[in-house]
Amino acid sequence: MIRLERVGKRYGRGPWVLQDVDLTFEPGELTVIAGGNGSGKSTLLRIIAGVTSPSGGRVKGRPRSVGYLPERFPAGLRLSAKAYLRHMSAVRGSTGADVLDALGFRGDPDAPISTLSKGNTQKVAIAQAFLAKDLLVLDEPWTGLDTGASAVLAELVTAAEATVLVTDHRGTARALPDAHEVVMQGPAAATGVAIELVQVSDLTTTVIGDWDGVRVLSASDGRLSLLVETAVSDRVLADALRMGCSVKSVRT
Amino acid sequence: MTALVRYLAVDLLRSQRYLPPLLLHCAVLGMMFSGDAGEALFAYAGSCALVYPVAAWLGVVVATTEDPTQRAVTAVTAGGWGRVASAQALLGALGTVVLAVLATLWPVFTNPHPYTAGVVGLGFAAHLVCGLTGLAVGMLCSRPVIVRTGPSLLAVVAVVALTYKAGRGTPVGAMLGGLAQQDLAALPFAAGAAVLLVVVAAAVAWRLGPRRA
Repeated sequence: MIRLERVGKRYGRGPWVLQDVDLTFEPGELTVIAGGNGSGKSTLLRIIAGVTSPSGGRVKGRPRSVGYLPERFPAGLRLSAKAYLRHMSAVRGSTGADVLDALGFRGDPDAPISTLSKGNTQKVAIAQAFLAKDLLVLDEPWTGLDTGASAVLAELVTAAEATVLVTDHRGTARALPDAHEVVMQGPAAATGVAIELVQVSDLTTTVIGDWDGVRVLSASDGRLSLLVETAVSDRVLADALRMGCSVKSVRT
Repeated sequence: MTALVRYLAVDLLRSQRYLPPLLLHCAVLGMMFSGDAGEALFAYAGSCALVYPVAAWLGVVVATTEDPTQRAVTAVTAGGWGRVASAQALLGALGTVVLAVLATLWPVFTNPHPYTAGVVGLGFAAHLVCGLTGLAVGMLCSRPVIVRTGPSLLAVVAVVALTYKAGRGTPVGAMLGGLAQQDLAALPFAAGAAVLLVVVAAAVAWRLGPRRA
């Protein structure tokens, strides 16, 4: 089981792209990560795959054999499709399925990947990810695929024995059987006033969470972190103080 | 690890980015040893001073041949950034050995002074020390430590220039001074320091890789 505990990410001193994400993924499960542009889907996948380390929290139970398909696979690879996949298999030692032919690869397998069409490059990219056996992290894998290849990929994703995490803005993945869905809200997409309260009782947490214009970012041990719409922020602060909470910080 | 080094090597050969530093190396060696370059060990001081910046360039090349996204895919495939950083350091070390062999053997054929096996061995070791130090400098001055090309280049040039100024305090300075005075007592210490620098450079790439990705 892969477990994310209060995972957060920010680049340098910039805004938090992800904050307090708690998720678990059972072995063999297919999960679709949904959410709008900038909600942190790609960042979440990069953290789970181990490409980038979280700025806060941690990822537990990441299996040994992980395959990662980036949102934009580099177009300038100098090796041929055949050589690249052969090397990637060799690096892994033991590998999963070879899905390149199943996806209907039509290019020259001995030509540099940089000379292939976008669709064929994407097929090579998918094929290298599917060499992994335990966890497949696929960021927008349907990009650039024709109808036939899309259907094949849908079957491969459903039939995979590995744990599969996938983002897909077109909605193909959501319709797959047994697909779980995680919707990312993303602090990047939200605006308002961030209020941190301390000395908050459990009852108060529930009450404040129900107020209009208030979103609870995290709540634990008497601490409550809120994102409040600007229009109601003064009233929320005043009411929270009246209820005995103490204000730790207010940021716009 | 062998498969990973082989993959990085094939990618490097395909990219042909190793060519400019290699050609520079051969061109300067050719000029340096075109006539009488002086007594054997003394002549090696010149090529040691050359192999240092050339290996630094090679260090930058092995760190940046793969596009950042491609490097991320490779890191996941290899099972972590640590393995890619180690493989990159190993590949750089192999390249450094090639540079050192070239620089050590070249004058044996062109320089009219006598070369004994002992002198050639010492010369090879001195070239390796300077080359590995350069490799570490190159790796520490490029991705993931310094991401942009311009600042990366400036940093390498600055560090190399400062090393020549620093005198005997660095492995390179110790070798250059030792060769000029025909006394290589500092060789074991300098070799240890050079290897340590490469290990540190790989460790830095391992720790910083996932943070800067």
